[in-house]
Amino acid sequence: MTVKVYSTPSCPWCHKAKEFFKENNVAFDDVDVSEDVAAAQEMVQKSGQMGVPVIDFNGEIIVGFDVQRLTELMKKAA
Amino acid sequence: MEKSEKEKGNLNFDFIVLGAGGTGLAAAMYAARLGLKTLVLGSSNGSELPVGGVITTTDNVENYPGFPKISGMELAKKLEEHAREYDLVDIKQELAEKVEKKKNCFLVQTKKGTYQGKSLLFATGTKWRKLEVPGSAEFERKGVNYCALCDGPLFRDKVVAIVGGSDSAVKDALVLSKYAKKVYVIARNELRAEPINFEKIKSDKKAEILTKTNVKEIKGDSVVRSIVLDKPYKDQKELKVDGVFVAIGHIPLSDLAKPLGVEIDDHGEIKIDHKTSETNVKGIFAAGDVTDKGFKQLITGVGDGCTAAYYAYEYVTKNQVVSC
Repeated sequence: MTVKVYSTPSCPWCHKAKEFFKENNVAFDDVDVSEDVAAAQEMVQKSGQMGVPVIDFNGEIIVGFDVQRLTELMKKAA
Repeated sequence: MEKSEKEKGNLNFDFIVLGAGGTGLAAAMYAARLGLKTLVLGSSNGSELPVGGVITTTDNVENYPGFPKISGMELAKKLEEHAREYDLVDIKQELAEKVEKKKNCFLVQTKKGTYQGKSLLFATGTKWRKLEVPGSAEFERKGVNYCALCDGPLFRDKVVAIVGGSDSAVKDALVLSKYAKKVYVIARNELRAEPINFEKIKSDKKAEILTKTNVKEIKGDSVVRSIVLDKPYKDQKELKVDGVFVAIGHIPLSDLAKPLGVEIDDHGEIKIDHKTSETNVKGIFAAGDVTDKGFKQLITGVGDGCTAAYYAYEYVTKNQVVSC
């Protein structure tokens, strides 16, 4: 399972998304797009928009913190 | 299948708080101190705000007693932890979809179940008012954003505009100035920021303040490229920008209160007794940004939430609401 969370340090939903993965013991790459310009461009390219968080879950792109969708994807990947 | 008595007990509360922002969390903490079994329903949907509410989108809070300077997220966490200190408080990340009155009680329905409460508090807050000009919907999240704290860092070394003249708009402009190379602050009237923030933005070298000016249109291709003003600024009506942040106020989330017969004013705010936080419907209270009170800050919402909790306690105990 490859999970990447594109986030900024001050975004409340980014924190919630990361807490969610930690609670569910899902390892993830935390990408701070406020520091990493190339990663920010990658995020915009993948999601077609400029807001955080963006979650790349095994290639599936989710904009925002959608618990229902993430739970479905975790079940599928288990 | 019929629910067991234990299951029914788990769904019955003395006080149900709709909204898990600072106001709702403070009300829950106080209600628990008064012995009320309390349920707080907050949102778990990405389009709304997490537990902690709107204060989580404020960078630095400097007007909350006991904390000369604290991030909104950290303060929200403390308020949540404080409420969770009490066993009588249950906080669920569920969104209330329907509220009904049944005899002396209220039934609150979410996607996961129906909860029964003897008293009810609307601490539902507000949602961002959208900028309604050509291009704003088309470019939402493609340069048009509403949360400067969340998405401002994506505009490092870019040119951005903030639309709005309130204290919140100016605070957003100060956040954006940390990242952007230029920030236009565009207000339809004069700026209405608190003097301390007004001084900060006035002396900010990256900020240019345009008052008595409106944004008429947002233009772009795949992302925002420019905005059109209703009057020229430095001989130009069109300004090149990479992003537009909108802070033009909020819309009260009072829709669930209307079918209950709760009085709502022309602004969509719930009318309350300013002494007790009670609405015109017995057993229903409201506090915080959703109400018709004039001055709205976390500090005032928290106070009103506690007031509502106290009068809900009086209502529940005096009225001996035991059966529904």
